[in-house]
Amino acid sequence: MALLELDGVTAGYTAVDALNGISLRVEDGEIVTLLGANGAGKTTTLRTISGLMKPRSGSIRFMGQEIAGASANAIVRLGLSHVPEGRRIFPGLTVRENILLGSSNRGRVPRAELDRDLEAAFGIFPDILKFADSPGWTLSGGQQQMVAVARGLMARPKLLMLDEPSLGLAPIIVQQVFRTIADIRARGTTVLLVEQNAHMALSIADRGYVLETGRLIVEGPPATLLDNEEVRAAYLGGRVTAE
Amino acid sequence: MSMIPQLLFTGLGIGSIYALVALGFVLIYRATNVVNFAQGDFSMIGAFIMVVLAIDLGVPYWIAVIVAVVTMAAFGILFNYGVYYPLRHRTFLPVVISTIGASILLQNGVLAAYGPHPQSLPPMLPFPGFTVGGVFLDSQYLLILVVTFALVALQYLFFERTMLGKKLQATSQDKEMASLLGIPVALMIGITFAYSAVLGGVAGILVAPLLFVSINMGSTIALKAFAASIIGGFGDVTGAIVGGLALGVVETFGAAYISVPYKDGFAFLVLFLFLMVRPQGVFGEKVAEKA
Ligand SMILES: Nc1ncnc2c1ncn2[C@@H]1O[C@H](COP(=O)(O)OP(=O)(O)OP(=O)(O)O)[C@@H](O)[C@H]1O
Ligand SMILES: [Mg+2]
Repeated sequence: MALLELDGVTAGYTAVDALNGISLRVEDGEIVTLLGANGAGKTTTLRTISGLMKPRSGSIRFMGQEIAGASANAIVRLGLSHVPEGRRIFPGLTVRENILLGSSNRGRVPRAELDRDLEAAFGIFPDILKFADSPGWTLSGGQQQMVAVARGLMARPKLLMLDEPSLGLAPIIVQQVFRTIADIRARGTTVLLVEQNAHMALSIADRGYVLETGRLIVEGPPATLLDNEEVRAAYLGGRVTAE
Repeated sequence: MSMIPQLLFTGLGIGSIYALVALGFVLIYRATNVVNFAQGDFSMIGAFIMVVLAIDLGVPYWIAVIVAVVTMAAFGILFNYGVYYPLRHRTFLPVVISTIGASILLQNGVLAAYGPHPQSLPPMLPFPGFTVGGVFLDSQYLLILVVTFALVALQYLFFERTMLGKKLQATSQDKEMASLLGIPVALMIGITFAYSAVLGGVAGILVAPLLFVSINMGSTIALKAFAASIIGGFGDVTGAIVGGLALGVVETFGAAYISVPYKDGFAFLVLFLFLMVRPQGVFGEKVAEKA
């Protein structure tokens, strides 16, 4: 049984569907990447999975349980954490508070356990430790991205969904973020990664899907996607040959 | 010579009432992005609950106060579900209209039950006050100052030191993100309404012995409190408190040195000056969002 399984999911903002029947699966322990151009529907897919949007039809199963139409609150309590596009750090709360709030889905957690998890989060992102008591809005984009991922991990998710974690970051920071994602999976958390940076995403992913205007057009391991003519033309551009 | 400290004392006392109501405005505004036009009526309802309990039913005064405060919390939750919750996904305007409707309903409901005659409540403490250095410290004003200070201090500790306080802040900063983390947003907003109703109710209960208890007592207070929160910087908690206190002082000094009949006008003169010169208010510095 797949950890996450979507079957014929449609969803949208207007009368027109933004997703036209998405079927995908994420197996336990994988890093799966969802690629696609601007406006392809990557964010919409994640929002529909995490309960921010209700699917119009289709089924979404997480650990065998149907979650289509459930509230965001209920879904994150099952262990499905969504780190949304744009980081969404609470600007008026400190970095420590932002990260601690990531545990809200776990009910009452003993303080000692929270402190241990917090320490582990700062262990993964040592760069933000010195900002622990600074308000969220004072951080740079890269630092905010680390806080956002750390906050997502505080949920102790079985599946972590990341929406464009590399967006707007300097190349060195991007590399660091992707190394951390690989590291997070190595610690046992399954990852569904939405990216426009196809090369980086495919360098750490086990499998990928390519989304084009609300439809999945190809699926497969990185090598298959990198070889696919259609994908290269549309998403990888000249960068493949330039390598 | 004791005139100035005397006026300062009185001004801070009445300013505390404005501050409590202004806080209610601000907390609801921060949680929902909506101005609650029935905020003043929370004070009116609080005072009328006291009239019912302490005067009509003869419940001992301090028990009546406790019951009234608990009733206000319940009333706030009811208000949330009746007035805000059904419209929570709508834009700002329908919700504002809904709160105006609630205000009219509350005032006329009480009018139907109690008629137009103002009621009165006795002072809450059994002694008139003290004289210190030529300044008469009226017991009711003292009580107002002490209770306001205690409430503000407790609120600060609650918001800064507890996880629930942090969740309330997170909800007011980004509801969608809060829900993604598993924070029950609707409950957080319910708690905010309950607390704001308690703040308004406490203000009404405290000020009742100084004024008559009438159906429109809340409107006057709310208008001043609203002005106070704009002066302080709308949406800012510290600003609401400072703005409320400042307005009470300005108004009291204005009445003493310039004109009593124009007492209510001073509040709006100050508001007008602020809107002209510093529309973001004293504490209204926008939080910069870094990329
Ligand atoms: N709030 C909204 N209201 C209406 N339409 C929207 C909204 N958000 C997205 N859309 C539309 O839905 C489609 C899918 O958008 P989505 O944000 O899922 O794309 P994306 O693949 O995440 O793109 P990007 O790479 O730019 O983040 C687009 O056509 C977009 O214009
Ligand atoms: Mg997107």
